[in-house]
Amino acid sequence: MPTVLLDNGASSIKAGIVKLQQEPPRIIPNAVARSKGDKKTYFGHEIARCNDYSELHYRLPFEKGYLVDWDAQKAVWDGIFSDEVFGIDTTSSSLLITEPYFNLPNIQEVYDQFVFEEYEFESYYRCTPASMIPYGTLFSQADLPPAECIVVIDSGFSFTHIVPIMNGEIVWTAVKRLDVGGKLLTNQLKELSSFRQWNMMEETYIINDVKESCCYVSTNFKEDLETCRADPKRNPIVQEYILPDLSTNRKGRVRQPDDILTDTDQILVMNNERFTVPELIFHPDDIGLNQAGLAATVAFSISLLPSDLQGMFWANIGLIGGNAKFAGFRDRLMSELQTLAPVDCEVVIYECDDPITEAYRAAFSFVNTPGFESHVVTRAEYAESGSNASRKKFHDWKHRESEKEKLKEAPKPKGKQREEDRSQAVNKISRTRSKPTTVTAPSRRR
Amino acid sequence: MAPKRARVYYAREANATTIQALAAEVIAKRTKRHLDELERSNYSAPNTLLTGEDAEEGHGRGRARQTISDKRTLNIPGTSPAAKKKKTTHNVRTALVYRKTLAELIDESKIANLPPDDPTYLRAAAPPSAYPPRMLCTVCGYWGHYKCRRCSMAYCDQNCESVHAETRCEKRVM
Ligand SMILES: [Zn+2]
Ligand SMILES: [Zn+2]
Repeated sequence: MPTVLLDNGASSIKAGIVKLQQEPPRIIPNAVARSKGDKKTYFGHEIARCNDYSELHYRLPFEKGYLVDWDAQKAVWDGIFSDEVFGIDTTSSSLLITEPYFNLPNIQEVYDQFVFEEYEFESYYRCTPASMIPYGTLFSQADLPPAECIVVIDSGFSFTHIVPIMNGEIVWTAVKRLDVGGKLLTNQLKELSSFRQWNMMEETYIINDVKESCCYVSTNFKEDLETCRADPKRNPIVQEYILPDLSTNRKGRVRQPDDILTDTDQILVMNNERFTVPELIFHPDDIGLNQAGLAATVAFSISLLPSDLQGMFWANIGLIGGNAKFAGFRDRLMSELQTLAPVDCEVVIYECDDPITEAYRAAFSFVNTPGFESHVVTRAEYAESGSNASRKKFHDWKHRESEKEKLKEAPKPKGKQREEDRSQAVNKISRTRSKPTTVTAPSRRR
Repeated sequence: MAPKRARVYYAREANATTIQALAAEVIAKRTKRHLDELERSNYSAPNTLLTGEDAEEGHGRGRARQTISDKRTLNIPGTSPAAKKKKTTHNVRTALVYRKTLAELIDESKIANLPPDDPTYLRAAAPPSAYPPRMLCTVCGYWGHYKCRRCSMAYCDQNCESVHAETRCEKRVM
């Protein structure tokens, strides 16, 4: 039976069908967009067809990171299951779908309802993106077993989460959320550009591209600020972004030294905007958001973990989510974490080729582990006991008590190899990594 | 459509009221409003009428509305209600037609009533910063060593001060 995989983000859905050989996922905007230019409405995957992206008006299924607009979501999902994308019969398929951290129980019920009542999937598994990371290769090192204590930093569209994971289970009491994500950064850049240069308030699509093309995380904020101040027109940081010309269908781009401008070209100058925008992840107080920055929040999260294991968490920090693609993100985080970590702790940060699709790739491996079938809720189980079936089976933040109990219990034989390995590993945790266990590790990606 | 020069958008008419600093709670409210704006999916200029479906922030509480997902002609294989466009269950129909805001859903979920040491969405927020906020010029982004006497927004020099006064200064009580 095929398994449909949806890493269902608030900005994009990373979607695919699990086969033996892994392929890159389709990246589908999780939005319904209305173009003011051609007056057409584009759903999800159709947005790629839209040529007139000036004043695209978005309707997003997610609000502040949570799924609230099911009509818009169904419109996007229908497109994905239709022959325009995968053409898959959901009634004879399994589904793995991701949900936000701390998803609300009443919203989770609606996920169940759509999966089983509207699409009639054979079975499904619902989990957070970070919970899949242990099955992937983000932390993999040649000749070393998977790390038992890791911290996943997921910096996405709606917010940034710090997610410690111990033996494959999220330690929910230490999960922390920074209310800064890609959406806020794009909106901040919109505001700055509009105030300082051109009115870009309706140009979400364009400004998002400006952000992705020009912005970086500064590793020396003070110095960069002075550089931009000294000569705002000519300095090593300033860039010119040539706004798209919709009349000739030319896309926007960063101006290169050999670019000759025409009379109609409009330039958006990116000076300190290049780094003061992503800076908000490290300094939310710059816009009055009273939250500690990313590094301090990571340190706080680790401080909530068992003290004898904290050193292992400091040494296993991994980055996922679109904001991890900003140049300088890792280096800035590293330098700040090194000042916050205890002197005897080594700080190690892991990165991957594509932080946007890492959770998808890890989930792909998870689906291919022999134990996957034991984690799903089946349509029959849902028919029998409704959402109780998923409440019982999916280990999310509400399962903390049962997890505690499990940690205390001595390992006992279980049907599934992975479970067995995990519970045994609990007793093996030490500051150094233990010798390889027979975890059903996914094959290496690269 | 070509972007337009922006300044006019924010320009406010000079106001001759006497200089009076805004109260701390007014400034806190202003910050909160700004943070809310940064959460929006679309920007709509003030005084622009939002029309029906497009008004993302304009939905009434639990008000039934037109759906968009059933207006499409798609070919989905199989016999599910989504594929056959029929037999949609009451649960699904309700979710499609009645949209609730996140605030309403949080309320409805009763997560606020869970035991105090249970982790929830409400308790997972990052702790406040241990340091006082640094001030950046709200006009140009450089260090903002001075504060507007009326509205306490930061600026860096006389030039930015006058731009601030002409455009963004909250002279009026909101
Ligand atoms: Zn200034
Ligand atoms: Zn002022």
